[in-house]
Amino acid sequence: MKTAETLATINYQPSTNSQFIWRILDFVLAGIFIYAGVLKAIDPVQFASDIDNYKILPWPVSVALAFYLPWLEIFCALGLVFRVLYRGALSILMVLIVTFTLATIAARIRGLDITCGCFGHISQHWSLTSHLATNLAILAALLALGISNRLRKPL
Amino acid sequence: MARQAAVLAAVALFPAAGEAIYFRNNISWRSAIAPSEMVTVDQARAWGDTAIWVDARPDDEFARDHVQGAFSLNEDRWNELLPQFLTAWSPGKKIVVYCSSLSCNASREVARRLRKEAQLSEVFVLEGGWEAWLRKNR
Repeated sequence: MKTAETLATINYQPSTNSQFIWRILDFVLAGIFIYAGVLKAIDPVQFASDIDNYKILPWPVSVALAFYLPWLEIFCALGLVFRVLYRGALSILMVLIVTFTLATIAARIRGLDITCGCFGHISQHWSLTSHLATNLAILAALLALGISNRLRKPL
Repeated sequence: MARQAAVLAAVALFPAAGEAIYFRNNISWRSAIAPSEMVTVDQARAWGDTAIWVDARPDDEFARDHVQGAFSLNEDRWNELLPQFLTAWSPGKKIVVYCSSLSCNASREVARRLRKEAQLSEVFVLEGGWEAWLRKNR
């Protein structure tokens, strides 16, 4: 009996460790999106201008998105922290990051020298490479969380 | 998953609507420039010598014609032209930026950069731009 318990503990241990690591990743990503969301929510005028600089959407739509997207990011990030509506939050964040990445690439192809406004003034002088690398790293982390979520047991 | 995403998308609407109401005087839904940052030709002319004019159009358009006494400051040669403009500017002077017409963006961008990068406060965009100025001065 004791041997069986010991074996069970040994088998379960790596799973617990990996769950812990995934939870850390949840918190790190949530922190990034809450930070980015709050920065944009406190200055929607600047964010509307940043969206407008992509020259894709009409101004009223840029304004509407400037009010809406930061809160969507914040709520999705809270979804990751509290594991509420978790898969929905992950999917929205993936769509957002892919959309912004594609919009940035399209803007650069069209010769627009823009600031993404993703992380307020901190990202103002980021090169395209740094911008894309950051976005791809976040996307990879979100995908990893999505895949691992199916395998995870609750902590 | 789609249902969860829809719930999150719907919940985010509430604070967004609240924020839109809170910032209603800071941003215009019709134009990228807040009404408080716009100036008409008549208002700008009434400022007289207390205003300094900035032409945000490309060099060739500035060379063709411009508001008398205006400084050329466009984004193509920003780093070169900004110091020249700043030597002419003095505190207390209002800055009136214009580009070709109502639909151009150059004046808005130059005004934004003057506020952000040069830390100047009284920067205004001329409503209707150069076309409006011509209409009033024909």
